[in-house]
Amino acid sequence: MLLQLKDIQKRFGGVSALRHGNLDVQAGEVHLLMGENGAGKSTLMKIVAGMLEPDGGDVLWQGRNVYFRNPAEAAEHGIAMVHQESLLAPHLSVAENIFLGREPRRPLGWVDRREMLERAARIIEQHRFPLKPEWKVEKLSPAGKQMVEICRAIQQGSSLLIFDEPTSSLSETETQEVFRIVRTLRERNVGVIYITHRLEELRVIGDRVTVLRDGETVHSGPLNEITTDQLIRHMVGREITAIYTRSALPPGEEVLRVEHLTREPALKDISFSLRAGEIVGMAGLIGAGRTELCRALFGVDAIDGGKIHVRGKAIRIKSPRDAVAAGLALIPEDRQRTGLATALPISHNVTMANLASVSRLGFLNHAAEKQMADDFTQRLRIRASSGRQLAGRLSGGNQQKVAIAKWLVSGARVFLFDEPTRGIDVGANIEVFQMMDDLARRGAAILMVSSEMGELLQVADRILVMRQGRISGELPGGTTQEEIMRCAAFEISAVTTEEHPE
Amino acid sequence: MIQRLLPFFTLLALFVILSIASPNFLTSTNLSSVVRQTAVINIMALGMTVIIIAGGIDLSVGSILALAGLLGAMTMEKYGIGWGMAAGMLVGMLCGFANGLMITSLRISPFIVTLGTMGIYRGFALIISKGLPVHEIPPSFSYLGEGTLLGVPFVLWILLLCAAATHTMLEHTRHGRYAFAIGSNPDAAFYAGVPVKFHTTLVYAGAGLLTGLSGMIEVSRLMTGQPTGGQGYELTAIAAVVIGGGSLRGGEGSVLGTLVGAFIMGLLANGSDLLGTNPYWQQVIIGAVIILAVAFDELRKRRIKD
Repeated sequence: MLLQLKDIQKRFGGVSALRHGNLDVQAGEVHLLMGENGAGKSTLMKIVAGMLEPDGGDVLWQGRNVYFRNPAEAAEHGIAMVHQESLLAPHLSVAENIFLGREPRRPLGWVDRREMLERAARIIEQHRFPLKPEWKVEKLSPAGKQMVEICRAIQQGSSLLIFDEPTSSLSETETQEVFRIVRTLRERNVGVIYITHRLEELRVIGDRVTVLRDGETVHSGPLNEITTDQLIRHMVGREITAIYTRSALPPGEEVLRVEHLTREPALKDISFSLRAGEIVGMAGLIGAGRTELCRALFGVDAIDGGKIHVRGKAIRIKSPRDAVAAGLALIPEDRQRTGLATALPISHNVTMANLASVSRLGFLNHAAEKQMADDFTQRLRIRASSGRQLAGRLSGGNQQKVAIAKWLVSGARVFLFDEPTRGIDVGANIEVFQMMDDLARRGAAILMVSSEMGELLQVADRILVMRQGRISGELPGGTTQEEIMRCAAFEISAVTTEEHPE
Repeated sequence: MIQRLLPFFTLLALFVILSIASPNFLTSTNLSSVVRQTAVINIMALGMTVIIIAGGIDLSVGSILALAGLLGAMTMEKYGIGWGMAAGMLVGMLCGFANGLMITSLRISPFIVTLGTMGIYRGFALIISKGLPVHEIPPSFSYLGEGTLLGVPFVLWILLLCAAATHTMLEHTRHGRYAFAIGSNPDAAFYAGVPVKFHTTLVYAGAGLLTGLSGMIEVSRLMTGQPTGGQGYELTAIAAVVIGGGSLRGGEGSVLGTLVGAFIMGLLANGSDLLGTNPYWQQVIIGAVIILAVAFDELRKRRIKD
């Protein structure tokens, strides 16, 4: 037995994040860790990796009781974590990042650069990573950065690797690449803990699974002895009866028409339209230009050419401010960075896009604002103590609801959802879909970008597919994953986001 | 909660200790002089509070104070007190406006822009005055800095008025809310359609206006316009904000906190004068207080966030 966690407890202030965290991992297995947001997965893993100290319980490493005061101590024992949000130094090279803190030295303490580059090249080659030691990390895609973190773990001789939702921001090909790497690690008798929300990847990669709910381990066992439905039930703690169903609606008038929109080099001659009451899916591989399209429509990036019509009127959108005035809303892919002010209360976030509705002559009406925030907190079932709670302290799903609520206040008619379910759990997924359906029923037009084909098929009335900056196809809602892939495929290379000057 | 109130308790403790330690402390003459000495920094620090909340910094306020005071004093020589006051405040506002414009349009960090204008504004003051102070101030102008209204220093009324206005602006207007939003996450504010550049520029212009006013108070207290005045004031103003709970990461800070911060430093200076402490030690003590205040605040925040 590599690692055993027994009744781990952790409290933050008055809130108990973990009460009975139990987990055991063997060498050479891929152990899935599942649970809804806020179930305590990340907290448990941070304790294993030495980033947090437990308040109670035992951590047994190879049968011996251990206690890590910081990540360096965990690393010395052979435990490494591959983070969801990369913890690399962006301005340094791949090799420098791999050896950060343990650079090969020459006498007198000089860093032996040649030795470092050679050893990095060897690791990269052994695992067939599409990387070069001298590349700058800031130019790498999310997948590339993860690979650097994995290299670092290998270099440290780790015998336990923790992956925190490694595939949540990766394309299909990159995901396959990560799976391949995880399998090689398993073959080399490394233990792997793998946190994921994606039900479809469970059986592709996992050997055993542990489910956390409300800070307690509620299930642990081999994957082939449990059905996916049972797993979901363990995670949610109740039967999911309200499976999402899309209301049948006849599409109304055209709300948004885009003609020949171009922004070099990301977007080329894009034309499509959205009707009231429609949910249109947008599929494509990472880097196909979907996020760029949302940004261009919303005025974040300037366009080189093309026309945008909202409800029959040609409009020029030069900033998000123009877009908001025209009735557009963007729920961006990266909630923490662009969707929310996490250090501000829920109420301030909810009214941010339309502060005019709760103010007069520039002065705020705090009572009206509180009322509005409380209304939305209740209506959208945002799990918070009150509208004054800081947005950053909500779980992913609840943060997403706040990000959406902001646009309900603004009275937008065209909604651009960029990866709306990223990093949120099964229960919240369905609630978000339900919100989209509600919006459509009230006459909004919705464009939903998603990399999860399953959810596009479930939610969208029709699906546009992008490939290399163009719309490469339009498919009916009842299409198949194979059909989408056929339109989206022929990806070139996903590892670098920019050309590398060699 | 107790830790959030730490600056208030510190101020209270200082007050009590000094009352006991020195018989001269709790006299109206002494307290008035503390108020007068801190008023200039205090009013500057109000503007700095808003800037820091909006995620910025302004190193040029000391130079703005000198330039605004100088030009105000020169105008006063020719056209009288009213025009002089107006000129000083207008110059301050324009300097702040220029800072804001450069920060938002050139997309350079506020630290760099105001490091540059700190030199530029100071240089202008020296060029215009040829390095010489302006002396011909109408004698009645001393009322602004040294006069008394209803038994308390006139500047205290001005300070309270400015503090109330800044507080209202921050907590009760859209502009204030946007300052918090921009400081907390400029990208999220931009994506929500907030006119980020406009409000950022306005924040600096507002701080410039308050600095211009402080410049005129300084002129009134010294009865000269000094091109070399206000050196190092920017750091004292920043320190007041930070001791009062403002965060250089943006999104945090309050008017009340800043007032307390400025008075803590004012009392420390006054106390060591009264007790006859070596004045060189004052700097050491104030420096230590800044570090301790921020350390306690970080500790508190970390405990909440974890």
